[in-house]
Amino acid sequence: MQKLLSILWPSFLVAGIAEGLFFTLIDPQELYLLGEPVRLSRMATYSLGFLCFWAICAASSLVTWYLLRSAAEVNRRVGAVH
Amino acid sequence: MAATPPQQTESPAFAEQSLYEVQQKVYPRAVTGTFAQWRWSMAWLTQVLYYGLCWLPWNGRQAVLFDLAERKFYIFGLVFWPQDVIFLAVLLIISAYSLFLFTAVGGRLWCGYACPQTVYTEIFLWIERKIEGDRSARMKLDAAVMSRRKFFLRVAKHGAWGLLALWTGFTFVGYFTPIKTLWTSAWSFSLGPWEAFWIFFYGGFTYLFAGHLREQVCKHMCPYARFQGVMFDPDTLTVTYDVTRGEPRGARKKGIDYRAAGLGDCVDCSICVQVCPTGIDIRNGLQYECIGCAACIDGCDQVMEKMGYPKGLIRYSTERAIESHWGWKEIIAHVLRPRVLLYSAILWAIIIAFVWGLATRLPLRVDVIRDRAILAREVEGGLMENVYRLHVMNVSEAAHRYAVSVSGLPGIDMEGDHIVEVPPAVDKVFTIQVRVPPDNGKKGANVIYFDVKSLADERVAVHEKATFLLP
Repeated sequence: MQKLLSILWPSFLVAGIAEGLFFTLIDPQELYLLGEPVRLSRMATYSLGFLCFWAICAASSLVTWYLLRSAAEVNRRVGAVH
Repeated sequence: MAATPPQQTESPAFAEQSLYEVQQKVYPRAVTGTFAQWRWSMAWLTQVLYYGLCWLPWNGRQAVLFDLAERKFYIFGLVFWPQDVIFLAVLLIISAYSLFLFTAVGGRLWCGYACPQTVYTEIFLWIERKIEGDRSARMKLDAAVMSRRKFFLRVAKHGAWGLLALWTGFTFVGYFTPIKTLWTSAWSFSLGPWEAFWIFFYGGFTYLFAGHLREQVCKHMCPYARFQGVMFDPDTLTVTYDVTRGEPRGARKKGIDYRAAGLGDCVDCSICVQVCPTGIDIRNGLQYECIGCAACIDGCDQVMEKMGYPKGLIRYSTERAIESHWGWKEIIAHVLRPRVLLYSAILWAIIIAFVWGLATRLPLRVDVIRDRAILAREVEGGLMENVYRLHVMNVSEAAHRYAVSVSGLPGIDMEGDHIVEVPPAVDKVFTIQVRVPPDNGKKGANVIYFDVKSLADERVAVHEKATFLLP
């Protein structure tokens, strides 16, 4: 649980900042998705945008957490050290 | 940094151990007193503002509305557009500097009295206390096996928490989408999917943070709690236990000469620990878990009063004051120190710049975009024509009429509206055809200017650059 929170929480904070910056500078109605103008309402674009930012940031936190595992932990998983 | 010896990561025992301590549930005991009153006053003030402000009307609209769908922020008489992002940035800088200043002078005043996490935890705790009883009753109830009574108490508590959380979520969304419309659509079950999502999202987090996570948010999740220490110095006011007066602590009978018995003023009743919302012992000194709520001061003062000792064994004081046995006079004399003066000077400079910027903000914005679909084309009379989209943003709260003119090349003229009318707080787009005799400019891009002037006030004018293409 604590691991999950340590991934989801920092990414939530950073996603909030990213969302604010991105959509202050860019009007969602001027975005293109796969070559088509985005036809979603602004509310929907903001919301989906936030969730995407959160997911991306969480992916980064996940990699950090994965690489932070100690040698002992990694060895134990692969069964090299008994 | 000092060199650290290499860690023995090979030890299997090391690999098996979890480095996280087991979380003990904190049952804060209710407390009354001066600082509790201050905390409740701040809770009332912030929450009346939060729940109430979104319902306040202004000029036939919501007074404070961050209208995301329209990309316009309304704050009473002011309307902010995405182009005004600088004001938002400066406002954030002002908030940050205020926080630095308050922290340098008074420690964690924000955490103790105004932070939503503290305020909602306080409110949720109050509900819990009204339904389940105070500290000991709650501990007993938690330990008891499930019974009819426990079940009903639990349902009542979580129900009340849930309703408040939902209302908080609804209010939150009401700042981003007009709350009256939101209210009507909520009752007719026609909320937009995203509005509903964010109400439950924010409400759910309020319930989780204030009801369940509480002090863990401050201890493990709050970035401010981690770095507030760098703003502290030996003259910062913090909730402090007077060690020299209190130690050696110990139980004693009332009325005995405890000093003769070798005891200090602390009766070791542990009230300060019981009332602490983060479950720490302030007698161990300043800790980052201390949110500066001063509940322990109120608790301790009551005990001191009962014992007939002077109050203030735990009090707001500074590191230096405790060391040198200073009173309030000396503490106040040390408020104006270089750090505080520097923070104040920067803060005032930014506030003045902000207010000046707001006051002199032109209530008109103009944006010229050349129509990319049509390059230069020849029209009747042999003139060359470029087409522009003229965005006229009326940032004021009254409708305005503007005169539009174009200059920059000999013989330049425009087709389309010379006088345009724009309703209040609206960005209106006009299509303008600009015509120039073909030999009056160089081949390629020529600089031209659009002038938009208010008919009511000629100081409200914008001179905007654009390019005119000649083949």
